[in-house]
Amino acid sequence: MTAIERVIRILLGGALLAAPLAHASDDLIDLRDAPPVRGDAVAGKAKAAVCSACHGPLGVAVVPTFPNLAGQKADYLYWRLVTFKRAGDADSPMTAQVAHLDDAAMRDLAAWFASLEPAAGTNGAAGMPGATIYRDGDPARGVPPCQGCHGLDARARVGADDAARARLYPVLRGQHAAYLADRLEDLATHPPHTSTAHVMAPIARTLDAASIEAITHWLEAGAP
Amino acid sequence: MRTPRLLRPLPLAAAIAAVAANARADSGVGVDTWRANKLDPTAGATVEGCDARGTSWLEAGGHRTPTGNLYACPPPSPATADHGAWTTSGILSVGAVATGGDDGNALWNRYVDWDGGIVLALLAFEAERAADGSYASVRASRISDDDEYYQAVFGRAGSYKVQAFLRDMPNLVTNTAKPIWNGVGTNHLTLPAGYAAGASTPDAIAGLSAATPERTLGVTREKQGLGFSVYLTPQWTAYANATDEQRHGARPFGGPFFFNFPFPDNGGVLETVKPIDDSTVNLSGGFRYAGTTWRMEFGYSGSFYRDRYTRYTYEMPFALAPLVPGAVSAPLTTGQFATEPDNDWHNLKAAFTRKLPLNGELSITASGGRMSQDDTLIPPVACAGVFGIGLDGNLQTGPQNPYLYDCANWNTPDALSRRSADMRIDTSLLDARMVLQPGADLTLRGGLRHEREDYRNVYLAYNPLTGQYGYVSENGSQGSVVPGESGIWDPTDPSAITRIRSLPLDMQTTEANIGADWKVGARDTLGATLAFSRYEPNHRERGTVDDGSIKLSWTNRALDWLTLRANYTYLHQDGDRYDYDPYDFTYSISLPGFVAPPNGVPAHTVDALRKYDVASRSEHKLDLMATFMPRDDMTVSASLRGDFNDYDADLGRKGYDTLGATVQWEWQPAPGSNASVYYAYDRSKLRMANINEINDGGSNPSIGGNTYVDIGRWWADDTQRNHNAGVVLAHAFGRVRLDASWNYLHARGTTDYRFASPLALAWADTVIGDGAGGGAFPAMTYRVNSFSVGLHIPLHERVALRVFDLYERGRISDWHYLGFATTHAIDHRVYTDGGPQGYDANLVGVLLDVRL
Repeated sequence: MTAIERVIRILLGGALLAAPLAHASDDLIDLRDAPPVRGDAVAGKAKAAVCSACHGPLGVAVVPTFPNLAGQKADYLYWRLVTFKRAGDADSPMTAQVAHLDDAAMRDLAAWFASLEPAAGTNGAAGMPGATIYRDGDPARGVPPCQGCHGLDARARVGADDAARARLYPVLRGQHAAYLADRLEDLATHPPHTSTAHVMAPIARTLDAASIEAITHWLEAGAP
Repeated sequence: MRTPRLLRPLPLAAAIAAVAANARADSGVGVDTWRANKLDPTAGATVEGCDARGTSWLEAGGHRTPTGNLYACPPPSPATADHGAWTTSGILSVGAVATGGDDGNALWNRYVDWDGGIVLALLAFEAERAADGSYASVRASRISDDDEYYQAVFGRAGSYKVQAFLRDMPNLVTNTAKPIWNGVGTNHLTLPAGYAAGASTPDAIAGLSAATPERTLGVTREKQGLGFSVYLTPQWTAYANATDEQRHGARPFGGPFFFNFPFPDNGGVLETVKPIDDSTVNLSGGFRYAGTTWRMEFGYSGSFYRDRYTRYTYEMPFALAPLVPGAVSAPLTTGQFATEPDNDWHNLKAAFTRKLPLNGELSITASGGRMSQDDTLIPPVACAGVFGIGLDGNLQTGPQNPYLYDCANWNTPDALSRRSADMRIDTSLLDARMVLQPGADLTLRGGLRHEREDYRNVYLAYNPLTGQYGYVSENGSQGSVVPGESGIWDPTDPSAITRIRSLPLDMQTTEANIGADWKVGARDTLGATLAFSRYEPNHRERGTVDDGSIKLSWTNRALDWLTLRANYTYLHQDGDRYDYDPYDFTYSISLPGFVAPPNGVPAHTVDALRKYDVASRSEHKLDLMATFMPRDDMTVSASLRGDFNDYDADLGRKGYDTLGATVQWEWQPAPGSNASVYYAYDRSKLRMANINEINDGGSNPSIGGNTYVDIGRWWADDTQRNHNAGVVLAHAFGRVRLDASWNYLHARGTTDYRFASPLALAWADTVIGDGAGGGAFPAMTYRVNSFSVGLHIPLHERVALRVFDLYERGRISDWHYLGFATTHAIDHRVYTDGGPQGYDANLVGVLLDVRL
């Protein structure tokens, strides 16, 4: 606290010391200034055995409702794990998996999966209608272009600066369409837990079923 | 004229009934969209607080404008409630206010009516249906009967929008008025019983004025409006707006019955009370197109002013006396003023904007308008009997009394050359602008503009009843004091000089400009603009006035924590030959039978005088602005500006210079906490010179001639200095918010003068001596200190208490009103307004804010 802050606090605060009101609680995770996530990929590999049951031994899931983790950004993966841990949602299969992970373990796992070769996609994306929405959005319906945050090739933007968002917005290329559709529905219907979700939630709410199907299948096919 | 209050919500009801269920609208279109009052000048922002989460989910921390200033903390998201498909939110802020001290003071009550008691500070309620974008909102505030607003908006995003409002706004002009007449607020001011018009003594009227209690005079504006817009297609929008504003009240005004200063116990200088009772209807409508390549607008605007009164009359208390021994003055008792004429304005506009290659855009706007008024003209005088002078000692009209006129020939519309004004001004405008951005670092721009105003008629002051020309001056009083100065020309008085014709001021303006902004690297931006303007007025001192200017700008961001901006403009104005008297044709001099006086036609004015709008001049203007960012949460900004004008004029405005500086410190250490300190200073100096006519019958217009002798010269410097300082503090102690502010304004104006001799002055009874002299009028000062403090205390999740206090201390000194503490009536001069007064007043209030 600076001297000026102290003076003002003394001048203005004296009369209000008795005010029995506390700050409102806020469980939002503010990632706008989040520092880069660093972990030990080798150590993460050693802890990833349980993950492979759903997400595949190399981070590529066989079941399409489970996300591919290979090649995903470490920052994104880490904060997803933190969110699962904080939410404690009894209906989520991840709740039990993260319950005993400490912070270092989550960082290591994130680093490990980020280091893997991403899924290439199912190929054949050319000419699919999702490409147009992804590239141009749908101005008439208030849908912004996805590429603005996730990159023209859906491999996420690499920020010229060190802005946290450049490390946090996920890679979408090659991701399972079914998982992406579930995730969009989750964003559209549940209160956001992170500042990043606050960005995506209103966009998810503007997408109709047809648009979601078009975009997610284009991404699954490998995008551009 | 006045719409009954119960009927005023009709526009809203009509709007609701008129909207088709499946219409569409442009949500950006509306009428009078800002709703605020003095209790809540921020239109609700003060009760909304601060959202600690900041302005953007993309980046943390405070954000700055492109020039480096911190944005204010955003208000928190509204607390919403779901009702089926609808989501609602709102706030109700009700409470009570009380005033104390000099709370009747007009300056304290300017644009507000602190009635005291219960107030509705704000009711804001919004409902939205996300499924189809439907929305509706209500907004209201009521401080008192004359200070309130109510607004309703509903529509569907991307489909249609309807807006309706009612708004009452007071304007207290004075609280020290002592009008001596009955009928204030009407169009007929009469003296009380026992006071004879045209025959009362100054002592009697001074007594009447002294016995008249002080009262307020003011004007209330009542406005209601309706706006509607609809999307016809995703590109085409139709819109229509209508407002009706009614003004009611009264304000101090003039009332001439010839000079009194040089003629004691004669003439009459009256400050009367003008009734205000009028209505202005504004209409607009049109179509807009917004496509990817083209944007277009085709619109109509109209304005229609109607005054309840064509004129108002007032009784003159005093008798007039002739300046000629043995003569007798007409007993005038009634004066009159025309009110503003009923008038119409229509304007049609078409605008086209097209995208161009090189990331450019071309806009062309064409419009044509017509201003017209055809109000009933009032007769030249309102007298009965005769006006003028009976040179032979009686008031019988005839050849023996050439300067005595029969009122019956002048107090009737038959005395006019036509019964109604029948005046019209046609306007036209063509404006073209182009911008090209061939690269990210370069912007090129240019523009052309041509504008015309054409007067379509003139009025000739000719009386068909008598065959005479002219305007009767000062209700007939001037000619009732000085023989031959009634303002009337006829063949039997062929040398009389009087105004006989209206002055059409047709004009056209052509402007062109070209400029560029060049970003030199990442740190510097340079800009240059060349502009030329040609103003061609008719019947003015110059037929052509040319302006040429160059503006250079520089913006520097070499340092992360500093933005520097500098602008310099040089302008030179010149024109063709200056004709000091282009107005001959509007005077009786132009009539066929006019005979020049033996000493020639008196000079209209001195030929060395230059009217400042068409005078040659050079201007240098410099602006320097710096914005420092010493920390992420702190901004210091400073500016210095100067504007120096040098006029090529021996007489008239010779120079006008302004110099100003500001400095401001702002700190936002945390969401909801901020402090700022600011100070602004500016000064201006206006230098004037002129010359009094020593011989008002002289025909030589030059300085040193038989009219304008050097000893009639005078000079005046008008200097204005303003200081404005303030401190604003706001801090959140947990959920309790404290805000406090102090604002200080000190304006001081002085007028220094000097003269070559007392003959330079219009009225010099206080000047002693024959030689040059000078001095200064007492300083005009206005100094206000305002302190405010408020606490916002949450009592519940949705309920908060706001307690606030505003104390204001004003001090004013205006020499125009000196002496009115003693009397408002001096000889034949009667003043209504006692002038502005100093005050110490306080407002305390308690409001309960409930989130609905």
